[in-house]
Amino acid sequence: MLHLKPHNLLIQKTFSEALEAAAAGAPLTLDRIISDFDYTTFHISNSPEDKALLWLSIRTKAWQSIATCDGNKNGLLPFLESKFTSYPSVSIPSSFESGYDYTLQIDLKSLDAATVLQLSLVKTLIFNYPFHLSFSEFIELSKQQPVTDDFSMSSSQSTSKSLYTIRYRDDENIFIKPSNDRITVIFETIFQDETDKVFGKVFLQEFVDARKRNRSIQSAPQVLFSHEPPLELQQHQQGSTNTDKSRRFITFVLFPRHFQTVELQFSTVCQLTLFRNYFHYHIKCSKAYMHSRMRYRVDSFIKVLNRAKLDEDDEETIDEKNQPHQRRTFTGRKMVY
Amino acid sequence: MSQSLRPYLTAVRYSLEAALTLSNFSSQEVERHNRPEVEVPNQSAELLLQPMHISRNEHEQVLIEPSINSIRVSLKVKQADEIEQILVHKFTRFLEQRAESFYILRRVPIQGYSISFLITNKHTESMKTGKLVDFIIEFMEEVDKEISEMKLFLNARARFVAEAYLGEFVY
Amino acid sequence: MSDWRRIDIDAFDPESGRLTAQDLIPPYTTVVTLADLQPKISQLRSLSSSGDVNSAINLATTDPPYSADENTKAEYFRAVLDTLKQVRQADITNIVKSLDSKQHDVLIKFLYKGMSIPEGQKQGGILLTWFEKLTQIAGVTPVVHYLSDRNTV
Repeated sequence: MLHLKPHNLLIQKTFSEALEAAAAGAPLTLDRIISDFDYTTFHISNSPEDKALLWLSIRTKAWQSIATCDGNKNGLLPFLESKFTSYPSVSIPSSFESGYDYTLQIDLKSLDAATVLQLSLVKTLIFNYPFHLSFSEFIELSKQQPVTDDFSMSSSQSTSKSLYTIRYRDDENIFIKPSNDRITVIFETIFQDETDKVFGKVFLQEFVDARKRNRSIQSAPQVLFSHEPPLELQQHQQGSTNTDKSRRFITFVLFPRHFQTVELQFSTVCQLTLFRNYFHYHIKCSKAYMHSRMRYRVDSFIKVLNRAKLDEDDEETIDEKNQPHQRRTFTGRKMVY
Repeated sequence: MSQSLRPYLTAVRYSLEAALTLSNFSSQEVERHNRPEVEVPNQSAELLLQPMHISRNEHEQVLIEPSINSIRVSLKVKQADEIEQILVHKFTRFLEQRAESFYILRRVPIQGYSISFLITNKHTESMKTGKLVDFIIEFMEEVDKEISEMKLFLNARARFVAEAYLGEFVY
Repeated sequence: MSDWRRIDIDAFDPESGRLTAQDLIPPYTTVVTLADLQPKISQLRSLSSSGDVNSAINLATTDPPYSADENTKAEYFRAVLDTLKQVRQADITNIVKSLDSKQHDVLIKFLYKGMSIPEGQKQGGILLTWFEKLTQIAGVTPVVHYLSDRNTV
């Protein structure tokens, strides 16, 4: 498994099961808690009144920052609602389940496979919102000030005043900065483990170099890696108290070709939101591989060492050479003194 | 085998062969004790023999400390950069945790070295000395090879993973 | 005195009969000082710089300053190391062959000493070549002699 998938397999499976059971006439009683990356929890349960109605609730660490990133316009809820309007079996209940950030109500009677897939993407859809905002801001900015071919005029670049921040882990954030010719996505990350830090450095360096080396992925976003906050962040982070030395910044520069159509936008966002998980996953895989390799190596070393051991037979021949009259009992057993 | 590795291993082989002439020797300090004298410092200096340093360069060294009934062999494995440092550390720790199946491995390396072996007269009585030397020589060869292979693998994987990820953005 | 259980009381007892590394240094009748040794060091350096490495090695391995203090030994060793570096790889075998077994024993002491200090470790390759040629000719004997000899260079 090389790539991580944006949808949550467990949600998909749970709903498929529920759908099957409902079709067979015996609706399931569900109360399932599903965990996802980045402190995200899902809860799937029956609605208290009707067994054919299911609730899917989500709680995620990033919710707070995403809900407020549009400057109190409260656009997140309508945005999410719009994503589900074309699926008739999904409705939004008047109040959300307590302890969770967002709840969807699903009617099992009219549920179909496409809806299930959309439901399993709910976390990605939430993360999609700030990206969606910056895509629309990009269009505005590029209309105001179209990109010219004259690169000598540095003033032709205008950047947005706003910076969208997703705080999805304790010390790790995603920053999105639209401007008139590009959108910059910056990951701030921190490595807890000393080994991860070194391995992570190798991996991140390869992300930076990959585009230069391989011609077939020339059109991928440019990746930059630094220990200092990039310029895009510095003006926003003045007075920031977090000056931890182990912070790393990974910058993706998205050009219009990466978000021309709605489909492209969505797949770009899916990839980006999974970036951290993706490379941490591969760091873990490398460690696991090395572990199995070391196991094998230990075995082969032990084999070599065991060659040095004196066998029972060897001992006998040596003994017999030295003292040919080894005493044996009548039945041929060796005498033990 | 590279040009400078052969004399290095030859020197280790000769030194080990000379040092592995161990005999049973009870402690002079504690009655009914029999302990590896090389591990008991500051007592009975007459039981310790001249230590032997064999170095290929500053980063690859072997220290052999012989005594009457035991020798301690410590290896310093080449660590060119941060990655190799971590890999060597992980690998030697992994081995040390399995020290009981290695018989001659010391659980903790001595200061300044990556890994240590402790060979006592018990070992030379139950194992062939020549093969023990072979083992240490082979160990030295394999560790270097293993570390560099792991490093290559890590880079190759990182490269592949990065290209696969960025490839998703190409339409 | 919190760790009094770990105190090695025998170490404080002069009657314990314990030997330290100091006690094992053989009793020398005369002690060589740096001033005494200076003529030999300069002779060694002039021999090696004039290219007569054969005589230089011969001189270096004859009557080394066992009784000298650490500084003097270090000074002498630097001269020896420079000489060892001067010798071309192809000549090593012939030079080693011309030495007798006593000189082999001294030579291996210099080789082990060289590999234990940073200056010598930088020249590890050269010292190892010497070591290899020496063992090819004299076998394991000098190594065994080295182990048990309390005279150090």
